[in-house]
Formats: sequence, C-alpha cells, structure tokens
Amino acid sequence: MSRLLEPFQFPFMVDAMLVGVAVGAVCAVLSCYLVLKGWSLMGDAISHAVLPGIVVAYALGVPLALGAFGSGLLCAVLTGYIKANTRVKEDTVMGVVFTGLFAFGLVLFTKIRSDLHLDHILFGNILGLAPGDLRDTLVVSGLTLAIVLVRRRDLLLFCFDPAQARTVGLPTTFLYYLLLSLLAMTIVVSLKAVGIILVIAMLVTPGCIGYLLSDRFGRMMAIAVAAAVGSSLGGVYLSFFIDASTGACIVLLQAAVFLVALVWAPKHGLLAGRRQRRLARDANAAAAAAERRG
Amino acid sequence: MIETLLTPLHYDYMLKAIGVSALIGGVCAFLSCFVTLKGWSLMGDALSHSVVPGVAVAYYLGWPFAAGAFFAGLLAAVGMGFVKTKTRLREDAVIGVVFTAFFALGLFLISVYPSEVDLRSIIFGNILGISGGDIVQVLVISGVTLLILGLKWRDLLLFCFDPNQARALGLNPAALHLLLLVLLSATAVAALQTVGACLVVAMLVTPGATAYLLTDRFGRMIGLAVAMGVGTSAVGAYASYFFDGSTGGCIVTLQSALFVVALVFARKHGLLAARARRRAAIAEVRA
Repeated sequence: MSRLLEPFQFPFMVDAMLVGVAVGAVCAVLSCYLVLKGWSLMGDAISHAVLPGIVVAYALGVPLALGAFGSGLLCAVLTGYIKANTRVKEDTVMGVVFTGLFAFGLVLFTKIRSDLHLDHILFGNILGLAPGDLRDTLVVSGLTLAIVLVRRRDLLLFCFDPAQARTVGLPTTFLYYLLLSLLAMTIVVSLKAVGIILVIAMLVTPGCIGYLLSDRFGRMMAIAVAAAVGSSLGGVYLSFFIDASTGACIVLLQAAVFLVALVWAPKHGLLAGRRQRRLARDANAAAAAAERRG
Repeated sequence: MIETLLTPLHYDYMLKAIGVSALIGGVCAFLSCFVTLKGWSLMGDALSHSVVPGVAVAYYLGWPFAAGAFFAGLLAAVGMGFVKTKTRLREDAVIGVVFTAFFALGLFLISVYPSEVDLRSIIFGNILGISGGDIVQVLVISGVTLLILGLKWRDLLLFCFDPNQARALGLNPAALHLLLLVLLSATAVAALQTVGACLVVAMLVTPGATAYLLTDRFGRMIGLAVAMGVGTSAVGAYASYFFDGSTGGCIVTLQSALFVVALVFARKHGLLAARARRRAAIAEVRA
C-alpha cells in the first residue's frame, strides 16, 4: 500500500500530475472542435512548426513560449496564404510548410550552441519541471479554457457549418484565427508534458473518444476531458513504476480508452454496429417471410 | 576554401551517405507525385511515425529493421482503414489516433528496453553512420519500388486522379489503393535511414508539390520531382558534414527552399505570374 502511495510523496510527481491534469483538460476541450472540423493535420503541422521558434527565441533571449507560439501561427498563416494563391492542395501545402519549418529548426539548433535539450522539446519532460512551469501552465490553460467556454457556441457552429455561421452573422474569419491561436497556445502549453511529437495525440484522441460515446456536444466534451485527465494522471503515475517515457504512457492510456470505446460504445461501437446489422437482417427476413405468407 | 569544401568527399562514409541519400531522395520524389495528387500527406506522415515500434521490436529480436518497420506500417494502415469504415469518425481523426498510438508504443518500448536502438537515429535518421546491412536493405527496397512504379505508374496515376474512371476502365481501385499504401510504407522505411521519422513526410510531399507548380504534364512532373529529390538529397547529405550531421534537416531545408523559389517564380503557377495576370486583367477591364 505504501508502495502504491510512494509517488505522491515526491513534490515533482505531484507537480507533474497537476500539469498533466491541466494540459489534458485543455487539450481535450480543444480536441472536440478539431475532430469535428477535421483539423488533425493542422494540429500536427503547428506542433512541429514550433521548433524554429523555440530555437530563435532562445538565441534572442525571449521567452521560449512566445517564439513557439509565433512560429506555430506563422505555419498556419503561410499555409493559408500559399493555398489561397496556388493550385496545390491544402494538405500538401501543410506538409511542405511544417516540415520545412521543422527542418530549418533542426539546422538552426545545430548551429546555435545552447543548453536546450532537444529530447525534452520532442518528447516532453514533465517529471523535471522548472520552478515557474507549474504556474505558467495553469495560467495559460486557464486562459485558454476561459476563452473557449465564452465562445463555445460560436466555435461549435463554425466547426460544424462555416457557411451557416457566416449566414447568421458570425465573424468567421475572426473565429478561424481564434481557433488557430487557441490551438497554438494549447500546443505550446502541452510541449512540457508530452513534447512536440505526441501533442497531436492529446489533441485528437480524447475528442474521438467523446464522439464515439455521445451524440451531444456538451457530453462529448465532458467525456473527452474525463478520459484525458484520467489518462494523464494514470500515465504519470505508471511511468513512476515502470520507468518509461511519461508522454508515451499518457498517450498509450488514451489509446487504450479509445479502443475500449471503439469496441463497446453503446451506439457507435463495433459491437453495437454488428447488433444493429443483425437486427436489420432479422427484420428484413421477417418482412420477407410475412410477404410470402400473405 | 576549395580545400575545405572538398574535405567531405575524402571520407568514405560521406560518399556512401551522399549516394544512398540521392537514391532514396529519387525514389521518394517519384512517389511524392502520386501522394500530392491524391492528397495523402497526412497518410505519409502517419505511416512514417507508425513504423517506429516495428523498428524497435526488429532490433530487439535481431531481425532486419526494414521487415519490422514495414510490418508495423502496414498494420497501422490496415487499422486505420478498419476503424474508418466501421465508425462515423472522420478519416483524418482516425489517422491521428492510430499513428500517435503506434508512435507512443515505439517510444514506450525504447524507453523500457533501452538496447542498442538509438531513439535519435530513428527520429532524425543516421545516414552518416549507416551500416552495410542497412544499405543492402535500402537498395533492395528502392529497387523494387522503382520497378513497380516504372511498370504501374499509368494505372496509379489514373487511380489518383479519378478512381471511378479507373474502375470503369477495368482497373481494380482497391488493389491500387493497397499498392500505393505498400509503396508508401516501403519508401517511408527507406527514408527513415536518411531523414528520420519526423521528416520523411517532406521527402514524400515537397518534391512533388514543387514539380506540380512548374509543369502541367505528369511525365515532366515526375522527371522534375526526381531530379530535385536526387539533387537536394545529395547536396543536403554533403552539406550536413558542416552541420553536425543533421542530414535530414539539411536535405529538407534545401527542398523547402526550392519550393519557395518555385512558388514565387514558377512561370505559370507562381505568385509573380498570378500577380501579373491579375494586373493585366485589371488593365484590360479599365481599357
């Protein structure tokens, strides 16, 4: 028993769990919008594109988060500009832009002598948070959550049906950039927990879990947040015992929850789908039999 | 000055790296023409991340890395296809869930069983330290991929442009879809050695996108893409001698630079051309 409670005696573990909960919750809320909008690749692109921003910010002595946010947004804006002005498809443009920025970041990284750890940027370092990290994470996550909650209906309509949103007089361009900025902010906050490469899991998987389990957006969001927060806590806790990469543990737990939802979701799961097909077949057979008799 | 510039060429491992990179760059560029037409960038990114657990397991069991990687990539592709057909989730979300799960599994395995698998060489490639056995694997993959592409490129082209038309002409779109997935996995595995999991997608997208800006004919597009893929990979590998071995970063930065040049100056589809056309149209209206 005392062995199981051991992680809680270490301040760094408690900090890690708090950060995990904050990051998990804010990513989960945003993931509901991304999943509906089909922006998975956008999340992936922005998360990779923050790398050169971090390196440049380090070289200039600016807060790293600011640089990361800037280059993440730059990626999104460049993508939009190139797509609007050429005939190249959006997904291709995104692939070109984000890999270009990421590669440029890598080259810069080798040329600038720094005490930045590339591994920490790529895979997160939640067990080794610096003193101010917890406060920063809580403030930025709280801010992001507040903005989303205030504009949640507008964002929802924008994601479901942009044409309708424009018709009812919503500022769709503003909402587009709002969602992009929220996404970039969330990614920057999450870097410490899971790193550049796995942020995208935090931004897609919880939303998918919620979408499989519910037809109502409010409930979908609640489920997503619960799944993400649970996985973050469980992942940090587990990694203490098996000495594995914390980010990987969090993401694998989320994937496990997704699998469970995929199979057993009451209405949209695999088993439910099979049952529905069987019922439909039986009904058809019964109808056919009745017709033959009648 | 010239002496410094020639130094990399004195080393055997540099020559090997330049040659192998050029080959992989060419093969990826060939395939990138289809990937950009089909809109499969996310798929390329996903497959290149999904191969990581396969590499870890293969090293652990002493198998050829390519076998494990290829298997993991295909498993991920099949898993995505399955989940997508069985649920109401959007394709991009399904791809996101599956590939991150695979990548996390790979990261987990490597962190729990730290063997000689070097995470960095998987993420960023390690062409400068490529072993003889790995070179053979890359050569075989590239040869087979090139052969298949050479024989089947017309069918694949039709499939990418218009699957319905392809079916009407008696081709089997499902088989072509699978073939393209297999080729994508295979090249992702080969490119893993040069640029690493994070940047494979650049090799599989950027040359095709650049060529698409420069020409309207598919045959010429393939030629241009392959030429750029080979050129940037060779020069990038050479330049990485001066950049602490960040070969992937150099190659992809060069490819992106070419894309930017094409984007601005392409004769018909570039930004300057578009602006000139707009201006001419305005002048005409005024007149």
